[in-house]
Amino acid sequence: MQTDKLTFHTENRQGATVVYVAGELDLEVASHMRAAMEPLMEQSDRKLVLNLRDLKYIDSTGIGILIGILKARHARQAPFAVEEIPANIRKLFDMTGISPFLASAEAYPNLSGIDTKS
Amino acid sequence: MKKEANVTLSVPARPEFVDLVRLTLYGVAVKMSFSYEEIEDMKVAVSEACNNAVLHAYADDEEEGSVDIRFDILDEGELQITVRDSGQSFRPSDHFHSSSLHGKSIEEIQSGGLGLYLMQALMDSVEVRTDQGTAVILTKRRAAAEQV
Repeated sequence: MQTDKLTFHTENRQGATVVYVAGELDLEVASHMRAAMEPLMEQSDRKLVLNLRDLKYIDSTGIGILIGILKARHARQAPFAVEEIPANIRKLFDMTGISPFLASAEAYPNLSGIDTKS
Repeated sequence: MKKEANVTLSVPARPEFVDLVRLTLYGVAVKMSFSYEEIEDMKVAVSEACNNAVLHAYADDEEEGSVDIRFDILDEGELQITVRDSGQSFRPSDHFHSSSLHGKSIEEIQSGGLGLYLMQALMDSVEVRTDQGTAVILTKRRAAAEQV
């Protein structure tokens, strides 16, 4: 089995945890993704940002995970955003109707630009 | 390609084989000169059909099942993809329902129904047949087909 199909790395920006999700987010790696996101979802005091610039593929399983994160963050009244969505993935987000729920991190300019590698 | 042709593939009904179906689709679609965007659309649609078979077809079965995929190159620019399982698992009639997140609140949104919704949005036609198992028949015509 491929272990590099979906990879993550995390950076801390001011007050935000930014997770760079790269590769293919499908049924095979869904549980891997959920497990990686779970502890971060619970950090209500920090903004959670998913950077998707290197995400090549997503299906309804992956979109389902995003719905789960949206709901969990909403329940905690904790900020969550998705940024740098590639065109092919943006198309699926628009089609399914998840786009309006995924506020752009660019709306928070104080969070971008200052990257501190963790 | 001048003549009609078909390519078949049979994979174990397991999540780690769905990307193999995507790779095969890619090869067939490139041969038919589909555009990058059309291929991306079909990749998602075919994966959704396979996901459904992997998750539900053999849920009640002791032995591992398989998913059979047949790519029919119908003419110069039409591809029909049949994703078939032989699972006997009981599936409620609303199992194959299509639903999006449009117009819903965050409390209402859920992932159920997104798979079929995407298949319908991404392909020209989607047909679901249930008899001995389930067959999902997806069709896409190349947009540039008329110009060639």
